[in-house]
Amino acid sequence: MPKAAARTLPLALTDALPPLAAIAGAEHAHLNDDSISISPANAGQIAAILGFAREHGLAVTPTGAGTKLDWGNPVAPRIRLVLDRMNALREHSWQDMTCGVEAGCTWATMQTALARHGQMVALDPLWPARATVGGIVATNDGGPLRIRYGSLRDLIIGMTVVLADGTIARTGGKVVKNVAGYDLHKLMTGSFGTLGVIAGVNFRLHPLETQSRTWTAEAADPSHFEAPLHALLDSYIIPSGLQIRIDAQHCALDLRVAATPACLDEHAAELTRFFAPISICESSETVLGVRQNLFDQSGSVLLKASLLPSRICSVLSQLRAWSAAEGTEFTAVAQGNGLVDIACKAASDASIALIHRLRPQCSSVVALQLPAELRNRIDLWGCSSSALPLMREIKRRFDPERILNPGRFIGNI
Amino acid sequence: MSQCESGNLFATMLTAAQIAELRAAVGPDGLITGESQLQTYECDGLTNFRVLPGAVVLPRTAEQVQAAVRVCARHKIPFVSRGAGTGLSGGALPAAAGVVISLARMNRILEVNIPDRYVVVEPGVINAHVTQRVAPSGYFYAPDPSSQSVCTIGGNVAENSGGAHCLKYGFTVTHTLALDVVLPNGDLVTFGSPALDAPGYDLAGVFVGSEGTLGVTTKITLRIVKRPEVVQTLLAAFASPQAAGQTVSDIIAAGMLPSAMEIMDTLAIEAAEAAVHAHYPMCGGLLLVELDGPAIDVATLMHETRALCEKNGATEIRVAQSEHERMLVWKGRKAAFAAMGRISPNYIVQDGVIPRTALPEVLTEIDRMAAAVNLRVANVFHAGDGNLHPLVLYDHAIAGQEEIAIDLSYRILHLCVDKGGSITGEHGVGKEKQQALGYMFSEPDLATMQLIRCAFDPDSIANPDKVFPRARLCADRPGPYAPHPLETAGVAEIF
Repeated sequence: MPKAAARTLPLALTDALPPLAAIAGAEHAHLNDDSISISPANAGQIAAILGFAREHGLAVTPTGAGTKLDWGNPVAPRIRLVLDRMNALREHSWQDMTCGVEAGCTWATMQTALARHGQMVALDPLWPARATVGGIVATNDGGPLRIRYGSLRDLIIGMTVVLADGTIARTGGKVVKNVAGYDLHKLMTGSFGTLGVIAGVNFRLHPLETQSRTWTAEAADPSHFEAPLHALLDSYIIPSGLQIRIDAQHCALDLRVAATPACLDEHAAELTRFFAPISICESSETVLGVRQNLFDQSGSVLLKASLLPSRICSVLSQLRAWSAAEGTEFTAVAQGNGLVDIACKAASDASIALIHRLRPQCSSVVALQLPAELRNRIDLWGCSSSALPLMREIKRRFDPERILNPGRFIGNI
Repeated sequence: MSQCESGNLFATMLTAAQIAELRAAVGPDGLITGESQLQTYECDGLTNFRVLPGAVVLPRTAEQVQAAVRVCARHKIPFVSRGAGTGLSGGALPAAAGVVISLARMNRILEVNIPDRYVVVEPGVINAHVTQRVAPSGYFYAPDPSSQSVCTIGGNVAENSGGAHCLKYGFTVTHTLALDVVLPNGDLVTFGSPALDAPGYDLAGVFVGSEGTLGVTTKITLRIVKRPEVVQTLLAAFASPQAAGQTVSDIIAAGMLPSAMEIMDTLAIEAAEAAVHAHYPMCGGLLLVELDGPAIDVATLMHETRALCEKNGATEIRVAQSEHERMLVWKGRKAAFAAMGRISPNYIVQDGVIPRTALPEVLTEIDRMAAAVNLRVANVFHAGDGNLHPLVLYDHAIAGQEEIAIDLSYRILHLCVDKGGSITGEHGVGKEKQQALGYMFSEPDLATMQLIRCAFDPDSIANPDKVFPRARLCADRPGPYAPHPLETAGVAEIF
């Protein structure tokens, strides 16, 4: 591996453009006001670009479609490493139920191709039509399907990563079961581009859910869902989506189950029993897409809270009460696994107050998106992990010059 | 890339002062230094590798683990943590004059939380005890390595253990929510949380399966799973393992995800029958499919599975009619490794993975390779996820045959890698397959893994000289199988 180069004086962007253009081709490198956007064609070009960035001390932000660039602490990169050209589904071994895809492939493009053989990566992230595999993995996004199939940690079987020093490393492999060596891909998943650039990902696949039904129950307050939710989670019903959506006026629970038609008929009867005296009615599976609406509201404060499932109803009730007290307008979608997305439109002080109230009630509350004026008023990641010194050491080992998304992650890693 | 400093790996014995420090760390009743007692710890389930440790500590608390690790850190003494010692790759093999940290006394289940579906355990808790504890509430702990009646959760975490049912339910890592870990410098840290997505790097995900090279876990939060309404097990007899393998592919192609799919060939069936009389049909390839879920779903899918077995020429199809019968079917399967002793004086257990579709081709190639050197290879495998356990049978008494068997088992692993697979699906790399890891991964891949290693353990004292290929270019010696003491005592079936 090359030795760390001595950092030279900051390079003017105009001077940086020609050598970068030489790496990826002039038509793939562009000068912006504050940065250069460059689209590499392969991992080798990523390595060359990172080598150049490292030599000149230029901060790099890897990006796909840029749908989640606002998440985390702000970074002012000099190089935007755009993975849009690396967008191929390289391999779909449908009989082995695995696939290999380049990081710049959009989620929907990949899923459409996999669906030709009745398969999917069992994850439903935000903005599937635009968001890319690399960005989804880097931010560890996922939606309602997580309650059945787990998170990316459970679905990724291999990865190709380019490190800050240009090393191109493979981890895992193409088989579902594999315990050879460290699982570098687990470290990369959710690392917000601070340890390396994800160039390609191998997934395990699941059969598409062909038969499903969705039910919705409404209640005045989330506390009414406490008992039915407990009964449901303790039953033989295996949800493919379970959420409570709530704002100041409305509160509803949605459940989607995929099974054989006969089994779904049985479930329907059981659900009526679990939810009595609240009525539960058949609805459309589009209700499970409501999480997306939260993230489409511009200018909102967006929080990702995590709590134990048994606490969902009580925390949502409190959230509603606090919002009323603070005069904030909020919408929340709580997954049955305890992950809660909260969007609120509020004055600065009220938003900050809400976060401070929530944090002691939850296992964690990350402020994914905050208006610029609030960002220096609160720690977005809100976590004092005993493992933080180790996380810093990992960052130091992987990216000693701190060129990859410096400061974006927890503890300003 | 920076290299770790090497620890004091070449000392021949611990000094009296170091032993006194260890005694202070764990108390007089927590320290073993007598040679005859140390011999209990000189190997794990891979019994042909043996090294006498310098001392064994038996801490009762995380604080005592910390204190012992700090002694090791201060003097750069290599240490290895150990559960029940059932591992099959030499992962718990001590370093000469090193310290073994046995977690056997940390065996309490600390918390059971049914509403949030997790349990908190100490590392010395036996795998099967977790399920026993939550079964009355209708739950189970999913990873089920065949040694589950004796192996410990701490060891499962180190190896990322699987089992027959990980096809549907995933591995130890799938079920690990949080870990307390004593780092090689003695710091006690927490990775993850019982609630999902704790902010920061997924260090719990990295730690699980790191084979004791990143620290010692002292507390584990495990996910538990609702027991399915119905579990049904089907046995189908085919003329060859290839025909059974085709049925597995067809079941997957039909969009089903059984909880387990296992194949045994004639030799394996013979051995299992001789050992536990599971009433298997004698055939070229026996397929075992387990379906679980809502009763009505299982009935539908079982019907489909039967049809696929018939399509592929199954000569006999049976569904276990009672829980007793079902357990007997599994007992035969789980005893298959140990049963090899009934049909061969010696054998080597291997653990390779291939893409499922390569199964017929790889089995044919293994047959060819075995025939070329006049040896027999029995095959037992987790067919659903392509995890092969070829058992190379030989006779130590025949001069030169062991070397040929070792070489064959090693070439089978290479074949797995060449077909796009892995050198280990569940047994780990440990001591046995260090060089094979170098066949599977290139130098940059291994160097990147070393970055993680060095961040956790800069002095390389946590289970050193395991997993990664040694600098010197000597070939691995995959070990011939010798019965584990637990197995001889009839306590466990190992594979």
